[in-house]
Amino acid sequence: MAFFEQHIHDAPTTFLSKYVFSFDHKVIAKQFLWYGIAFLGLGGMMAMMIRWTLAFPGEPFPIVGHFLFPNTNGVVPPDTYAMLFTLHGTIMIFYAITPILIGAFGNFCIPLMIGARDMVFPTLNMLSFWLAVLSAVILLASLFTPLGAAAGGWVSYPTLSTLIGSPGVGQTLWCLAIFVLGASSTMGAINYIATIITLRAPGMGYFDMPLTVWGLWLTAILNALFLPVLGAGVLLLMFDRVFGTTFFLAGAAATTGSGDPVLFQHVFWIFGHPEVYILILPAWGIVSDLLSFFSRKPAFGAKATALSMTSITVLSTVVYGHHMYTTQMSPLLTQSFMMLTMVISIPSAIFFANWLGTLWKGSIRLATPMLFALGVVFVFGLGGLTGLYLATVSTDLYLHDTYFVVGHFHYTMAASVLLGGFAGTYFWFPKMFGRMLNERLGKIHFWISMIGLNGVFMGMMVVGYAGMHRRIYNPFVYEFLHKLIPLNMFITYSAIFMGFGQLFFVYNFVYSIWNGPKATQNPWEVGTLEWTIPSPAPHYNFDVIPVVKCGPHEFANPNLKGRDFQYQTEELA
Amino acid sequence: MAEAMTNLATKNLSESDQGKEIVSSIGMIVALISFGMLFATLMMGFAMFRFTAPVWPPDGMVKPSLFLPSLSTLCIFLSSLSYIWFEKNIANKKGLILTIVLGLGFMFMQSLLWHQLRSQGIFTSSGIFPSIIYAFTWIHAIHIMAALGLLFWLLFFALNKINTKALLLASSVGKFWHFLGIVWFIMFLTIFVL
Repeated sequence: MAFFEQHIHDAPTTFLSKYVFSFDHKVIAKQFLWYGIAFLGLGGMMAMMIRWTLAFPGEPFPIVGHFLFPNTNGVVPPDTYAMLFTLHGTIMIFYAITPILIGAFGNFCIPLMIGARDMVFPTLNMLSFWLAVLSAVILLASLFTPLGAAAGGWVSYPTLSTLIGSPGVGQTLWCLAIFVLGASSTMGAINYIATIITLRAPGMGYFDMPLTVWGLWLTAILNALFLPVLGAGVLLLMFDRVFGTTFFLAGAAATTGSGDPVLFQHVFWIFGHPEVYILILPAWGIVSDLLSFFSRKPAFGAKATALSMTSITVLSTVVYGHHMYTTQMSPLLTQSFMMLTMVISIPSAIFFANWLGTLWKGSIRLATPMLFALGVVFVFGLGGLTGLYLATVSTDLYLHDTYFVVGHFHYTMAASVLLGGFAGTYFWFPKMFGRMLNERLGKIHFWISMIGLNGVFMGMMVVGYAGMHRRIYNPFVYEFLHKLIPLNMFITYSAIFMGFGQLFFVYNFVYSIWNGPKATQNPWEVGTLEWTIPSPAPHYNFDVIPVVKCGPHEFANPNLKGRDFQYQTEELA
Repeated sequence: MAEAMTNLATKNLSESDQGKEIVSSIGMIVALISFGMLFATLMMGFAMFRFTAPVWPPDGMVKPSLFLPSLSTLCIFLSSLSYIWFEKNIANKKGLILTIVLGLGFMFMQSLLWHQLRSQGIFTSSGIFPSIIYAFTWIHAIHIMAALGLLFWLLFFALNKINTKALLLASSVGKFWHFLGIVWFIMFLTIFVL
């Protein structure tokens, strides 16, 4: 399969070429991992401030409040609140999840799992990371502009995001940052697609690839197709703001020669719905693999899982209208979009059933990565099912823009992806750094996260169902929401509990990089290609490009002697 | 030496070079699909404004004269042809130089067009039609400038040593250049002619 063999280059020796401007996919993966974890912390802090405001309106934010908001005695001011939820969304989606799931695991896993020595375009890979850094600098700089950062929600709908709604330069910088980040992610996507097509080890067909690689590949395809759509949208928004064009300025559409704000919503969601799958597909792939690895069983219906992920990828491009049921859309269209959205349940149900089939009668090893993978199965099940209420027009009209929506997409995008990301981190940490993470701390981290996030997001769905709207600074000025204050306090306590649990992870991660017990070559006893080489993976991965002779999930074959798994480089027993 | 070059130029590549050619083609094609989606989104927005308007152009505006855009189209069409000629024999840089000159000519025509619109009192803020003309031609022009940069880079640096890598670079840049030509032709047809 491999179209050509990459040469083994000498390892870089200087600090700059080794750790900063590195071409090595493993180093770039670690850079993305640190980048993502840093932003995860920042976005998490913003979430805390949002939650604090909702549970204790008018009370100063503890510890750092007086330092951050001196003019209001430590209380989060309303305009800052709008910036907080805008940047929380932007940061978590584009600067935390994307770098961790796609940047870090994409870069790390793809070449190692398909038996390549590096990405096919290493320079493009490096450029992709440094563009992401540039974008982060622009976004963070926007916090220090006179009128503050963008505050029109992460979707940045006009007219909130035009000069009328947000006159400051912050929103312009937001557009620029997203555009640059889009370019960076597109570069990564081009690299992933080309690498997977051309550099698979000899003998590795598409269905011999681990499902992680399938997920990352489909994500890359969606990225390459739909990030430019968002790019065009924010570019025109930027032109509206800087050069005075009138694309998204309100008016009676084209009849008066002015623009149409709803057009931005269309463009945004043509990108935005695939984006949901861009984020979740790598997590699905990782979970599909881990469930098989730790159940010591072949993945049930691996081919069907791969194909149903593919059909979801295709379907995800034609369902965006379900985000816009309340925007004067023709009932004919809403019905069609409802139908198409519902169709996604079919492939989702297929691979979900495959997950359960994989677990069925397996000899399950409850190591930390497996716990997180099982967590994904649980929270994604909940997130997926609650999606049906939002796909249905009649219920969505009531639930639109309530906390029910917030709870739903946090279950799918935040909880599932976060747990999937942690599962991947715990699983590949030995191959990344050559050390093991502490299992006990990992399990504590899992249970705190799991209980915490369910408290938060389940609570959100309940308050949303009761009618609490999202993005409102102080919902409790409305009489009918007074009774929801205790529930909001419960959500906030859960959030604090969950945030506190992440300290276990941070400590475990930082401590284990230098002081964890040394990892063996194959600590989890699985057969994919990255475990055939020493831990940590040496520079240029494979001395000899491996020849693949069987699939990635060959477990519990009765012909195997002495162990219950076999490497992909071995003839099927 | 000259013979070796002709061999390379007729794509008589060794097996590993063929592999590299496939890889660079795949990379460039995926990149062009991404660029294509950017322009397709712009065209989708244009189509929406166009088809919902009872009269087009709106606001009693008249379409800009076709003279300059037609010249631009001619320039970019000829430049694509000359690039194809250049790719036939990559050692001869005359075709490349001609492409660059025609590309610069295209940019000159575009700036004349912007100047003409301004002198008629048509600015970006004059309504949706001028917004579309300015924004789309700007976005296209930025890409043309980037491509011109690549062409200059080919001319002065990348083709100093004619080997497989240089050939692949020339072919990738060529794909980008032809792509921009096609995008311009679609814009010319939909915005200026129809």
